[in-house]
Amino acid sequence: MRVKILRQNNPYSKPYWQAFKYDGDMNVSVAAVLEYLNYNDDVKDENGHHADVISWECSCLQAMCGGCAMVINGKPGLACDTFLRDLKGDELVLEPLRKFPVISDLVVDRGIIQENLKKANAYIGEYEHDDKYSQDLEYQIGRCLKCGLCLEACPNYVKGVNFYGALFANDSYFINARRKSDKESVKKNYDEHFAKGCSKSLACEKVCPVNIPTLASMARMNRL
Amino acid sequence: MTKVLIIGSGISGLTCAIECASRGISTILVSPFPSERAQSVLAAGGINAVLRTDNGDSIEQHIKDTLNGGCNIAGVKAVTGLCSEAPDIVRWLEGLGTVFSRDKESKIMQRPFGGQTYPRTCFAGTSTGKQIVTALVMETRRYEGKGLIERRFWTDFYGALIKDKTCYGALLYNEATRTLESVTADAVVIATGGQNRMFSKTTGSTQCDGYAAGKLFEQGVELKNLEFIQYHPTAIETDRKNMLISEAARGEGGRLYYEDGGKRVYFMEDKFGEKGNLMPRDVVSKTMYETGRDIYLDVSFLGKAQILDRIPEVYDLCMKYRGLDITRESIPVKPSVHFFMGGIAVGLNHMTNISNLYAVGECASIYHGANRLGGNSLLAAVYSGRTAAKDIASRKVEQEPSDWSEFASREQGRLEAIREAEGAVFSVHIKNMLRENITGSLGIVRSEKEIDKSIEVLDHLIDVETSGMVRYDSSELEYFNYSLGGILKLGKAMLVCARSRCESRGAHLRSDYPEREESFKKATIISYDEGEFNTRLVGEDAYEG
Repeated sequence: MRVKILRQNNPYSKPYWQAFKYDGDMNVSVAAVLEYLNYNDDVKDENGHHADVISWECSCLQAMCGGCAMVINGKPGLACDTFLRDLKGDELVLEPLRKFPVISDLVVDRGIIQENLKKANAYIGEYEHDDKYSQDLEYQIGRCLKCGLCLEACPNYVKGVNFYGALFANDSYFINARRKSDKESVKKNYDEHFAKGCSKSLACEKVCPVNIPTLASMARMNRL
Repeated sequence: MTKVLIIGSGISGLTCAIECASRGISTILVSPFPSERAQSVLAAGGINAVLRTDNGDSIEQHIKDTLNGGCNIAGVKAVTGLCSEAPDIVRWLEGLGTVFSRDKESKIMQRPFGGQTYPRTCFAGTSTGKQIVTALVMETRRYEGKGLIERRFWTDFYGALIKDKTCYGALLYNEATRTLESVTADAVVIATGGQNRMFSKTTGSTQCDGYAAGKLFEQGVELKNLEFIQYHPTAIETDRKNMLISEAARGEGGRLYYEDGGKRVYFMEDKFGEKGNLMPRDVVSKTMYETGRDIYLDVSFLGKAQILDRIPEVYDLCMKYRGLDITRESIPVKPSVHFFMGGIAVGLNHMTNISNLYAVGECASIYHGANRLGGNSLLAAVYSGRTAAKDIASRKVEQEPSDWSEFASREQGRLEAIREAEGAVFSVHIKNMLRENITGSLGIVRSEKEIDKSIEVLDHLIDVETSGMVRYDSSELEYFNYSLGGILKLGKAMLVCARSRCESRGAHLRSDYPEREESFKKATIISYDEGEFNTRLVGEDAYEG
């Protein structure tokens, strides 16, 4: 199989395409292909020339950490959660997420996610348990990987300047459901940094690797 | 103390940061990636605490179970502290917003785990670690807003700033600028997890490589009990890793068996009775190993509704990675490296043998003896972070400003030399050989012969590394290059500890010394002195007095 990767040495250098030959097991994930290319032997491109190690972020290898989010054959996904058997065609094309600055190769800087949550004071503060909120939805939201796939897929999210995207909408519901006081400021931030800019394409729900039902969070927040 | 530097942002690092900041201490929290990537998010099953006593349970019983589960070499004082604070810790986590699973009366649910006399594992589905991380990250953000916690990402540990057995800060590698920076602090807390990456396939994160412990060992920090490596009995093998089938699957009633002539043999129940499937992990893994058979875990009889309600992540991962429907089929399981009971030796306050240097979480060794009980690791991660923070806050000492720029520039020179080294042996081959040897000789059952063979290989690899014969990959981050030496030292230290314990106890089983020996009812301490790896056995008082 031919593996084509959009590469970039550092944040300031020009991106370029490089192709590799993969002749390993086809019943594996994209993450396994990257590990194979990097560590099975010295890294060589499809013409047998020496190539730099392919940078990509990875920790859990089982869709629980969100590190390996990238664009796979044109679609945003987790490398460890996307399997060769499910891909069409005989070429695998890998690109870094496009909405975040590239650090090197497939590694991007998703620091804006943390920054925006910090700006919006996304924390509970004083906790209060209230049975009227949905424990199931809170559990789902608590599993958010902060991988950025929902932002990558979203037609409204650009660089996170004003619109913070689905992960923020979900965290807003989570915080609102669990904090004791000043729920108004949560709603105000939600309106300002999410509701106002969302065109409800729901691309975020479709791409979420842990299936967070963002629409459910939105429905509950919009009712407030 | 007024300024703290914490290396690692999983559950123990986050907890320590929150507990320092809440006491007004200025805290820098360093990690290459955000906490969502930490191994803590993989912790599935739950956290132990005695929340009710009407069923006969008590804190004393939790202490007793933990000590017995650890084969009676953990310190009584340490374990007493851990178990006594557990109920408060669960309430604290709940108060930070952790989504614990609740019963109809809205009480936190508890399930039985291995080695427990009463069910005391509180849980959040089967993603307890992840739910705790979510809550702690939010609370950390609160103190970030107040300017009390500064988070630094894309930053790796290089080494500690140590002079005359006192720590003054750490040298950090900035991945963006590819340079070293010395950061001084009144206290440094290491929270870097275990060393899964040293083995071929484990249930853990690829980020946990053991470098920090190995580097500190070189710098004079004592390590402890490295021979005790937990093989979790139930992992399912996939192409890149062994994925954990949470103990919750057996806590909910799952049964282990093998097939013999078309019949199922429930060997754990046959050998240990009704609670056989929930024996401590070392006992289950050993018994599985001794059968010499393919082992299966059956949960299908619980029914789809209960499986999806109580162990949904187990269902999902089997379906996704193996196409296995556990509501209808049994799970092929095998023991896998999962947790390290050994690590950096610490006292009751979590300080190491170097003043002002602390270790917390899995990289520290204190509570679990020769075998950890399920549900006690999340507890120890939180408890250790809290305990270190309390001790730091209680100390009045403030360090004099010290200048480490000369040291930093010397080490920067070393980094550059590594970048340009043109040795003959590719670093990737050294790492592969290390992994192969450690995996091969530190299995469930070990022998002196295998360990010695591995030590010989490691000695050679260390020689290659120290004599500049390695060809590093200049396209890799320097971290992956400079970390090699520390990782190799830790690898050898693990082997030396395993060789020195001439008995079988807990997770350390020796084919050449199959019995437990009273004379080894102690902890192994290993220290490094100019290339020498020295071990000694110590009692509880050495570190916990």
